Amino acid sequence: MRIPYFPGCTLHSKAKGLDDSTRGSLAALGIELTELPQWTCCGTVFPLAQDNYIGMVAAARILANAAKEEGGKLVTVCSFCYHVLKRVNYVIKNNLEARKKLNDYLEENYTGEIEPVHPLEICKENVGLDAIREKATKNLKGLKVACYYGCMLVRPASEMNFDDPENPTIMEELVSAIGAEVVEYSYKTTCCGSYQILYDNDLVMQKVEEILNSATAKGAEAIITSCPLCQFNLDWSQEKILQKNAGFQKIPVLYFTQLLGLALELPQESLGLDKHYVDPRPLLVGA
Amino acid sequence: MAKDLSSKISRDLIEHIKEISGQNANLCMQCGTCSASCTGREIMDFSPRMVMRMIQLGNSKALNLKSMWVCSTCLICTARCPRGIDIARLMEALRVINLRQGREVLVAEKIPLELLTEVPQMALTSGFRKLSA
Repeated sequence: MRIPYFPGCTLHSKAKGLDDSTRGSLAALGIELTELPQWTCCGTVFPLAQDNYIGMVAAARILANAAKEEGGKLVTVCSFCYHVLKRVNYVIKNNLEARKKLNDYLEENYTGEIEPVHPLEICKENVGLDAIREKATKNLKGLKVACYYGCMLVRPASEMNFDDPENPTIMEELVSAIGAEVVEYSYKTTCCGSYQILYDNDLVMQKVEEILNSATAKGAEAIITSCPLCQFNLDWSQEKILQKNAGFQKIPVLYFTQLLGLALELPQESLGLDKHYVDPRPLLVGA
Repeated sequence: MAKDLSSKISRDLIEHIKEISGQNANLCMQCGTCSASCTGREIMDFSPRMVMRMIQLGNSKALNLKSMWVCSTCLICTARCPRGIDIARLMEALRVINLRQGREVLVAEKIPLELLTEVPQMALTSGFRKLSA
């Protein structure tokens, strides 16, 4: 099965491990991602001002280009990209004035027919958790994993229609299928502070400490996510938190696709595990 | 405050915010669910509930708060509002009014180099889109 794929700006650079492990894992599960021939950044944030049409142009162009490919779907894994593409698509589908303005500007005739999908949905709905259970031959038994969704994947539920916005479980189902142990904790949909890392560092440090402490208190040994900004905030901040609080316990923060790739016995060096601030390899070497 | 409400300036502000956000702030019953959930609440000068009240009253001080700049648009307020108000859009309206007049808070030159070279690209794009004019 081949599906058009939009990597997004960060996946070709800082989050290359997310790109490589997404392609590799899905290929091992029989899904070939074909990168769009031309693409730009999606804009990263969905414009919340009603009169900001220009903020939707980049995503609208990507969707219109995806409609020229076969399959009717567009896979993207970064939570921000998924959020923006899905919401702009929703606007084009349901708001005729916005649809006309965007199409006039782009000289396209796109009506919202593409379905943006996330690899977590592909794993559950197209591949199936039973098939994954069979193919995940690496023994991850006993590895305690906390799933972190953050904000952009699940909210707002009416437009994202992804999973329960207060208690999503799609990532946990995947973790169970590959044989690792799910750790339940309270902060899985709490925001990590996002782009405030650039403006209000303290806010991010405070949120990250809360999130990580909540997970480690429940025995988590690793955290997984699908967002490069969450990954960075949760990972990079740990050294700073440790400097202020000597009792702080570090924890590796992985992309869910890296853990999936490991379970599918993809070569470790193809997963980008050497690019993290808190090195996950000592934990995963024995896994 | 009552005097403010009757002034033309405050009526214009109420309309302006309504137009940009598409939201009716008068639906807010001041329950505080947004403030209890908010990511940035401990760093903000005025909680989302208080900001909502200021917007209802057309209080122009709402345009000069730290709160709107500390908002990470995580949408938890919007998701949980029992009155169905998209509060994140109201916060965005306050930012947008400032940004369109050239008032910004995130300046590239002020970001520490050790951070600038490490952050994922998406942090820069999203940060500048939300916090720079």
